[in-house]
Amino acid sequence: MGQLLAQILVNGLISGSTYVLVALGFTMISGIMRVLNFAHGEFYMMGAYGVYVLTQYGLGYFPALLIGAIIVGAFGVVMERLIFRWVIGREVNGLIVALGLSVVLKALALIIFGPVELAVTRPVHGTLDLGSVSIPYDRLLVGGCAFGIMLLFYFFLTFTRVGLAMRAVAQDEKIAAIQGVRPSFIHAAAFGLGCLLAGLAGGLMAPIYTVNPTIGELPMGKAFVIVILGGLGSIPGAVVGGLLLGIAESFFSTLIDGTVSAMLVFALVVLVIIVRPQGLMGRSL
Amino acid sequence: MRLGRFALVFAAVMAVLVAVPFYFPQRYIIHICVMTALFVTLGLSMNLMLRTGLVSLAHSAFMAIGSYTSALCMMRLGWPFSVSFLASGLMVALLALVSGPIFLRIKGVYFILLTYALSQVVMLNFMEWVSLFGGNSGLSDIPRPVLFGMVFNTARQFYWMALALAGVSFLVARTIYRSALGTIIDAIKEEERLASSLGLNAMGFRVLIFCISGFIAGLSGSVYAHYMTFLSPEAFTGVMIDVILINVFGGAASPIGPVLGAIILIPLPELLRDAQEYQILAYGILLIALQLFLPEGLIGLCRRILSARWRRS
Repeated sequence: MGQLLAQILVNGLISGSTYVLVALGFTMISGIMRVLNFAHGEFYMMGAYGVYVLTQYGLGYFPALLIGAIIVGAFGVVMERLIFRWVIGREVNGLIVALGLSVVLKALALIIFGPVELAVTRPVHGTLDLGSVSIPYDRLLVGGCAFGIMLLFYFFLTFTRVGLAMRAVAQDEKIAAIQGVRPSFIHAAAFGLGCLLAGLAGGLMAPIYTVNPTIGELPMGKAFVIVILGGLGSIPGAVVGGLLLGIAESFFSTLIDGTVSAMLVFALVVLVIIVRPQGLMGRSL
Repeated sequence: MRLGRFALVFAAVMAVLVAVPFYFPQRYIIHICVMTALFVTLGLSMNLMLRTGLVSLAHSAFMAIGSYTSALCMMRLGWPFSVSFLASGLMVALLALVSGPIFLRIKGVYFILLTYALSQVVMLNFMEWVSLFGGNSGLSDIPRPVLFGMVFNTARQFYWMALALAGVSFLVARTIYRSALGTIIDAIKEEERLASSLGLNAMGFRVLIFCISGFIAGLSGSVYAHYMTFLSPEAFTGVMIDVILINVFGGAASPIGPVLGAIILIPLPELLRDAQEYQILAYGILLIALQLFLPEGLIGLCRRILSARWRRS
């Protein structure tokens, strides 16, 4: 039983860590710009396609992952300047625009790549056997990278000037502007960074699953659940919520089954809202 | 006097619409008309939400629940259509009544996210609970409705049924907006704290609108189920976007907005049936462009043109 629990926990942490990457960007964008980026899953999808295309051109997996994510981030900046900056702070309008963008990106992927499942070759093979727990190396790689990226992101927000400025804008845009922060720059940077994180997550997961135009929907649905669990706009909330969701899903789906697991997770969300409406780590409303 | 004029215009428009199948008897044109009327209904149900300042992403799931409820009530329980039809609306209203107070506990965008999560869970049930809902292959051979001893089995009859439902929904929405309830929901949308300080139970009215809106969405699902005689979860995937787009395009500020939106947008895909992915692409671009350049929709545009003309004269 202890062995099973350890395995469940490890599986949950690994899948939870990729959820966190998607949720971090989503929650940061909503915290800084008050925009619900319903197209966030499509940036994840772009990251996965990025890795597919770049490895097809002979690039190694890791350079492809990095370059792909940077391209996704840059595309995010362009979208922010082109579309999202007009709807900052107007959540309903922002939502509709993002829904539109999500539809556009999915349709483009369908036009360019077709509705087929594309496979990315796995960078590593085999399974790490720790006696009681066994982890496939490719999963371990994903989990390790995800935790590494989370750590980098934490340092970026805490110790760099841009990170500080981002937190300042999230807290109070006007005061931050008075202190010499340019909100328009921060909005673009935050949106790009959020998309970059989603692109990284997509690229990391691409070798594990196949790639198709709708792969972004699932992680985006998870990101919604996570931000409700953790509190919208809260970075620690996204981490805690994501890992919690990963572990809860791993637990329920191993012991019961996948569908029941989704229902139980939804029940968990409803419970959190009844007991603690602002989310686990959210500021009180 | 005003009511008289409205009643006259409404009756005239309905009379023209009722006569459509006589002038265009082609099967596929009537099919488009049925779908348009159903989307007018669904769009009006969403319009009620938008007027109250709520965006629901659960309305595609609501329509699906209405469809499955109505179909199963007739197939499994052997209930007559009239009862199944009402049951489908009541089922969704009940779900809205139970979930609304929980979802609305937190302000702002949480409602949107939660309705999305709800719709995912609902659709998952339809896909995975195979013994009851038939899974991905869905339900087939859904019985045709019998009303007042008349069997509905031609597209034309369903068109009139859907048209009647759309007409009634329009009247319901218009009546709500023009009644005290309409003033209340406007007040809650514009300045909730002020409205609450005047003793209005903002939460209660939001839940009420959510229930009415859900009821209408459920009814539209029921007509859809018996018209198609076949249901699968896949059929409801695009509905979530469509129903918002209809409102954004037509303009959410008036019940005429979603009516115009549906009449213009729902037939479009049928005309461009070949290039489906390009059509989806165009939909998305349209949604973004409208939101950026014409946030009040066609109705807003008309009003702006009219008021400009008045100012000039």
